[in-house]
Amino acid sequence: MDVLLQAIVNGILLGGFYALMGMGQNIIFGVMKIVNFCHGEMLMVGMYLTYMLYTYAGIDPYLALPLVALIMFFLGAVIQHTLITPSLKTKSFTNLLFLTVGLGLLLSNGALVLFGSDYKSIRTSYSQTTIPIGPVSVALPRLISFCVLIVVTIALFTFLKYSTVGKQIRAVSQNPVGAEVCGINVKRIYLLTYGLGIALAGIAGCLLTQFYSIFPTAGAGFGFRALIVVVVGGLGSIPGAFFAGILLGLLEQMSALFISPSYSDMIVFITFIVILVVRQLIIMRRK
Amino acid sequence: MLKVENLNAGYGPVNILWDVAFDMNDGEVVAILGSNGAGKTTMVRAITGMIRPTSGSVVFNGEELCKKSSREILDKGIVQVPEGRQLFTEMTVLENLQMGAFNKETKAHFQENLERCYKWFPKLEERAKQAAGTLSGGEQQMVAVARALIGMPKLLILDEPSLGLAPNIVDDILNVAKTLAQESGISVLLVEQDITKALATADRGYVIENGKVSLSGTAAELAANEHVKKAYLGI
Repeated sequence: MDVLLQAIVNGILLGGFYALMGMGQNIIFGVMKIVNFCHGEMLMVGMYLTYMLYTYAGIDPYLALPLVALIMFFLGAVIQHTLITPSLKTKSFTNLLFLTVGLGLLLSNGALVLFGSDYKSIRTSYSQTTIPIGPVSVALPRLISFCVLIVVTIALFTFLKYSTVGKQIRAVSQNPVGAEVCGINVKRIYLLTYGLGIALAGIAGCLLTQFYSIFPTAGAGFGFRALIVVVVGGLGSIPGAFFAGILLGLLEQMSALFISPSYSDMIVFITFIVILVVRQLIIMRRK
Repeated sequence: MLKVENLNAGYGPVNILWDVAFDMNDGEVVAILGSNGAGKTTMVRAITGMIRPTSGSVVFNGEELCKKSSREILDKGIVQVPEGRQLFTEMTVLENLQMGAFNKETKAHFQENLERCYKWFPKLEERAKQAAGTLSGGEQQMVAVARALIGMPKLLILDEPSLGLAPNIVDDILNVAKTLAQESGISVLLVEQDITKALATADRGYVIENGKVSLSGTAAELAANEHVKKAYLGI
């Protein structure tokens, strides 16, 4: 029973990261209708950024969080301005597919050149601290990360729902022509959106550093899971992405507990395929 | 207030408008008439800066607009109700109207303009919290018109307001446009395929055929014109 509870708690904590990644991917896809295939690599960049700030400047990973988010935001905005906006003009899905996949390869191989292939980690004084909650014990960094995640989710939701820029982002995602008619600078919104999506990946990367190894392909698994979260949670829905992420984390931990940890990836993706097929059948039935 | 001369515009290598010229005075309702594909919407897009004219001039209150961006043209007071309404369907009616306030001035006057819009279209107040996509076609057109009015236009462009709507709703919307022109001095450029209704509303009109202005005159003159009768009114 305790083992089950522990797995549930771990699943929720892990799912939080999938949710964060999914929300970033979701906002980018919602506004520009492009799949950002380098989303996982952006998480990896966020990890190395945190690592460098910790190793060379001695900044605690949690204090570095706003800085990492800001740097990642600007990185995203620059990529959008110099690469994605020009390719959007081609209106070619393949073009953007190659662009973002290529960017991902560039980033992970760049990290390989700069940092080497060995696993790095950040060990703070509280890395090993655990907090008992009833029969379950939770590592302090995981708990803090989850709290940060909740705050970020609520902040993002509130921003999109109530702020002027948030409304403009939604307007562009629903009707770019209507947005232009209303004087919204669509290109500026693209810049903000991509920056925001990348900043979310960076936040996830920063939070991960204390209990996940840092290596050039660390983001790949998270990138793929972000896609699942977007598809299962519903396009454009922040709460949908949040709950889909948590569910995904739970599924992974449950399959690790009841079947085998080495099969958990397989089970996640088989479930995803089943969901896709079943959903398609339901849609076809309705028609 | 608006003077368009020798306007040429199109998409890429395809030219659609050929030396289009017309003018409008303050508080006037001018109809741009023509069948589907005549170039009416291209003309609207060229005037509002959504596509860049290849040559010609658009002078609005003494200012040349041809090189200006769509946003700058909005700031000058030319606001359009685009063809097909282009609402934000998953946002509420109120949020759609909020998006109509695009600069400091229109934001500052939002509340009073909103109340005025609710007076024109009482249905919108009832539906303020509803997603725009759940409204009927006529109500959606009202949202689109109200969204443009929130932008405090000096020149309001209505692009095909009758498209897909019941005749009595079209009358309502055209009545609002006419009253606006008479009472608040807003000029209205009415771009329409439904020539009978357009001529009943407008003071003057221009007929566009194959991207060129082929006829112009007062509404009465056009309604009496043999070519218009034959080609558009089916008489």
